[in-house]
Amino acid sequence: MNETELISQVLKGNMNAFTFLVNRYQKLVVHITGRLIQRQDELEDVCQEVFLKVYQNLGKYRSECKLSTWIATIAYNTSINYLRKFKKFDEVEPDDSSAFRNLAESKAADYEQTDLHRYVREQIERLPVQYRTVLTLYYLEEFSYLEIEQITGMPEGTVKNYLFRAKTLLKEKLKSVVDENSLNSVKEISNEK
Amino acid sequence: MRNEEIENIIDRSLGSEPEYRLPVDFAQKVSFSVMRHNQWKNDLYEYFYLTAILLTLLSAAAGLYYFIDRTLILRFFSFISENVIPVVCAVLILNFILLADKVLLPFLFNRWNRI
Repeated sequence: MNETELISQVLKGNMNAFTFLVNRYQKLVVHITGRLIQRQDELEDVCQEVFLKVYQNLGKYRSECKLSTWIATIAYNTSINYLRKFKKFDEVEPDDSSAFRNLAESKAADYEQTDLHRYVREQIERLPVQYRTVLTLYYLEEFSYLEIEQITGMPEGTVKNYLFRAKTLLKEKLKSVVDENSLNSVKEISNEK
Repeated sequence: MRNEEIENIIDRSLGSEPEYRLPVDFAQKVSFSVMRHNQWKNDLYEYFYLTAILLTLLSAAAGLYYFIDRTLILRFFSFISENVIPVVCAVLILNFILLADKVLLPFLFNRWNRI
C-alpha cells in the first residue's frame, strides 16, 4: 500500500490501515522518542501520544514533505515537550567540555573482551539532547540535512555543526580509552561479525 | 589506521538500533485507544442528538398548543399535572439511562481498562 492510499484509508476511518501505519512507522518513532526521553517506562505512553496526534492531525498533512518526516516532527515535538515538562531539556547551546566530562569514565579494558560498539552506544546516550537528536535522525533514520531542519527547526548549519561536534566528542572519548591492544580486539570482533 | 578504526566503530554504532523497545502488540493497542477516543466523542454527539430530538418534540407540542389544538394539549398536560411525580421520575430515569448508556458507562469502562 503506498503512502497516499494509506493516508486516504486512515482518513476514511479504516482502523486496519491505521494499525498498518503504526506498524510501519513505530520504529522511527521509538528511535527518536527513546533517544530523547531515555525512559523505557514512559516510552510506550509518549509513543502512543505521538500516534494519537498523528491520527488527529492526519487530515492537515499536506504532501510537502514525506510522511516519515511529518511523523518524525510530531515525535520530536512531543518528546521535547515531555522533556520540558520535566525540566530535562537544555535550551542553551550544548557545552562540549562539560559534555565530554559527562561521558562515562569507563576504561577500554572493561570492553576489550566484550563490545566496543556497546561502549560507544552508551556514550551516545550521555551526549546532550540536541546532539543525540541530530545523530539519531542523520545516522539511524538517514534523514537529509534539509529534513532534519524541517523536523527540529534547527538551521542546516547548526545541524551540521552539532553532527560534527557530537562525532568529534565520541571520537575523542574513544581515542582516550582505546589503546593499540584494544584496537586489535576490535578488529577481531569486527571480523567475527 | 587508528583513526579509521575509530571512525568505523563510531559509524557502526551510530547506525545500530538503540535498545528501546515497544510491546509487540503496540500497534493494536494504539488503534484500540484511538477507537475508544473516537467512540467517546460519538457517544456524546449521539446523546446531544437525542436530547435535541426530545426538545424538538416539546417545541412541536408547544406549537400545537398555541396554534392548532389547544384542548388536546390541555388534556395531555392535565394528565401530566395529575401524575406529575411519576411523570417527572420517568423522564429523569429515561434521561439518566440514556446518559449512562451513551456516555458514562463507555467512559468509565475505558478509564477502568486503562488502569
